[in-house]
Amino acid sequence: MVDVIYDLIVIGGGPGGYLAAERAGHEGLSVLLFEKRALGGVCLNEGCIPSKALLNSAKIADYAKHGSKYGVNCENVSIDHRAVVKRKDKVVKTLVAGVSMKMKKNKVTVVNGEAVIQGRSADGFVVKAGDNEYVSKRLVIATGSVPSMPPIPGLHEGYRNGFVLTNREILDITEVPEKLVIIGGGVIGLEMASYFNSAGSSVTVIEMLDHIAGPTDREISTILLNNYRKKGVDFRLSAKVTEITGSEVIFETGEGRRSVPADKVLVSIGRRPFTEGLGLEKIGVETERGRIKTDEYMQTNIPGVYAVGDVNGISMLAHTAYREAEVCINNILGKRDKMRYNAIPSVIYTNPEVGCVGETEESAKEKGLDVEIVKLPLTYSGRYVAENTELDGIVKVIMNKKYRTLAGVHMIGSYASEIIFGAAAMIESEMRVEDIREIVFPHPTVGEVLKEIMWEL
Amino acid sequence: MATPVVMPRQGNTVESCILTQWFVKKGDKVKEGDLLFAYETDKAAFEEEAKVSGTILEIFFNEGDDIPVLTNVCVIGEEGEDITPFIPGGASVKEPEEEKKTEAVTEETTREIQAQPAAAAPNADDGRILISPRAKNLADKIGADIRFATPTGPEGRIIERDIRKLQQEGYLVTSAAKEAYLNLDQPVPGTGLGGRVTTADLSSPAVAAVSAGKAETIQKPEAEAAIADYEEVKLSNIRKVIAKAMHESLSQMAQLTLNISFDATEILSLRQKLKANAEKLGLANITLNDILIYAVSRILPSHKDLNAHFMGDTIKYFRNVHMGVAVDTERGLMVPTLFNANLKSLNQIAMETKELANACRKGTISPDLLKGGTFTITNLGVYGIESFTPVINPPQTAILGVNTTEQKFREKDGVIEPYMSMSLSLTFDHRAVDGAPAARFLKDLKEALENFSVLLAK
Repeated sequence: MVDVIYDLIVIGGGPGGYLAAERAGHEGLSVLLFEKRALGGVCLNEGCIPSKALLNSAKIADYAKHGSKYGVNCENVSIDHRAVVKRKDKVVKTLVAGVSMKMKKNKVTVVNGEAVIQGRSADGFVVKAGDNEYVSKRLVIATGSVPSMPPIPGLHEGYRNGFVLTNREILDITEVPEKLVIIGGGVIGLEMASYFNSAGSSVTVIEMLDHIAGPTDREISTILLNNYRKKGVDFRLSAKVTEITGSEVIFETGEGRRSVPADKVLVSIGRRPFTEGLGLEKIGVETERGRIKTDEYMQTNIPGVYAVGDVNGISMLAHTAYREAEVCINNILGKRDKMRYNAIPSVIYTNPEVGCVGETEESAKEKGLDVEIVKLPLTYSGRYVAENTELDGIVKVIMNKKYRTLAGVHMIGSYASEIIFGAAAMIESEMRVEDIREIVFPHPTVGEVLKEIMWEL
Repeated sequence: MATPVVMPRQGNTVESCILTQWFVKKGDKVKEGDLLFAYETDKAAFEEEAKVSGTILEIFFNEGDDIPVLTNVCVIGEEGEDITPFIPGGASVKEPEEEKKTEAVTEETTREIQAQPAAAAPNADDGRILISPRAKNLADKIGADIRFATPTGPEGRIIERDIRKLQQEGYLVTSAAKEAYLNLDQPVPGTGLGGRVTTADLSSPAVAAVSAGKAETIQKPEAEAAIADYEEVKLSNIRKVIAKAMHESLSQMAQLTLNISFDATEILSLRQKLKANAEKLGLANITLNDILIYAVSRILPSHKDLNAHFMGDTIKYFRNVHMGVAVDTERGLMVPTLFNANLKSLNQIAMETKELANACRKGTISPDLLKGGTFTITNLGVYGIESFTPVINPPQTAILGVNTTEQKFREKDGVIEPYMSMSLSLTFDHRAVDGAPAARFLKDLKEALENFSVLLAK
């Protein structure tokens, strides 16, 4: 019945999936890509990209509101949320079209539909979407993740009637809620807190841990916390949400039971790999608490079946998915390539921005690494001082003493998101402190502090 | 002035070489030091560099041609210059005397070139890796591990493009890992950026090796399925030579193999004693194979049928034993000759055999040392082989295969006792030797090995 046997079927058109398809297509493999919603996945449609559009509007508003500090007076500054969302939609549309073009250019067949693995045939793996069956010699599973929805009383009812939102819905609300309660102070929660704080909401962040921003270096996350407290965001740490009613969120802290009123509630406590209804069991792919287990070549326990991106639950970031996709395709093509997770940068696009890569002070200690830790205020950079009025940014380096290489670099301050890749390259290439000292940095830039701090080691 | 480039003479007994690859074509401009062509003798590969700059005016031979040494292969000069005097065969234009002069000059230049690497090459750790200064600089700059380089320069020397190839293949080391890496006995595979060896690879060489192996076994079939089911590789000339020699051997001779085993107690204990006292007595590391070579070289002279060349109508019986020693190298099987083994002490045999084997592995062996054997020993004992049928190197008449040692039991005066036994497999050419004399040789050899100290005393 099937007249085409594909070299590769990719399930999921997010960063991991579309890049795998693109690379494989570029190398001449016949590739079929399934996407049930829109190409680009969560990242492009309801995550990284749209939130950046929103945050940039917030940043512009912040500058305007506080322009007088720089001698620029603006009056009646306000965010037109509808216009912001409209622009966001346009950005997303442009980029989704770009992904489409890439698929076309690399001769990837895209099928819009939900793919279900049926099993094996003599020719390979059989995947069904709608009424059609497709066969391929190999599978790349890149189905991504969905928001974790904890069993908090009232949460699911609230989600159904639009009172409780996830990252998907909150990006499309047309009115700025007067009172926004965010459950979970991780990257998504903080970025949304940042935007809606600038847009005029009264924002409360409820976080179960005693710090925000998850595994981010504690010193950095504390600076971020102080910045947002100053801006008026209310943080409730070490607080466990116990119930969501129609108008408030109830939580418990060491001090007892508390509640905050809410017009909207954002749930952003984390994400979990999405594998339900995919038919993995039909071909015996091994999973572990919902995540697909992969080796360092991105292969699952079944030869010919790979899993990249959030669905393997290792490092749920779009750029990790990109690299995993490349490793996966390289191995399919017989080029030896191994996934390395030691230099994956992570960024929080708040204002100030946070950029981190590698070991934190805490994780280095936990692993018992022999490290030296130094930090510098960003005021060592002329540009930083010239362009900012709040001068609390820092850069922090964790150095591996044995080889005098960098184990981790952490920054908070302007452009940190764009600077951190340089630190990642230094870690990946195992440059020694002495090597980095020889690099010429443009002056004046904020990135120069990376060179400056090498002389503290 | 137009200058001819001749096929260099590699060793005194090499009469011709096969031109395997041209790196230039007619009309190309070349600079001094550019590679012109690659060529091979029976068992070693070389490359010829331009000694002058200019334009390739003419090329006289094609890839695959077998060219007599010192024959003009191509001409370098200014465009428009007359090349007719250099046409091989058409050398009648030239005075014979003049030709001789050219020859002499060429010899000198060749010697110069050969001397250069030794003088110019900065010594690597073992002082034996020959590398051009340019290649060394590049290797240092990019952190390439020169131990992985396949030398394609003249005389087994690593040249710049070998390092470029390494760079492409990813045999690189990060600056942080370099020092410790170069001190490792065994190179480890790199898993870092662009295949670089990282500090993480250093700390877990075993782990790295295992996962690399895994990539090999699991990923490879998968990978090949995506492209092709097989990889088609052109035979190297060395492989072709081996193939031809082995096939001729089996198709033209009347080979058969006899197996025998002997009590290895004495040679094993001797080896232990030698090993224990090696330092004190200034002895080389004397292996069982060296002991075998010694014994065979002492026994062979009284079994001249086996120390001979079968020439079809005649047989050459040799007075001395020139022992061929089979060496496994990356390029393939090589059999250097230990000349006059019967006149050498056990220590000398051990030292010289090791040198020959090293030169083969490094590709620096002189072609002269790959000829002239009168008998061959091949040892598969280290792989646990218990018996096999070695294939004779024509025109020799026999080859001795050495097998592994194993524990056996025998009954002596009603007592069962264990002892270490070793077995030997002798293949001989029945055209030259009959079964009984071959068996007698093995019996003598067995007795000699079981009473090795007596043999040493002789």
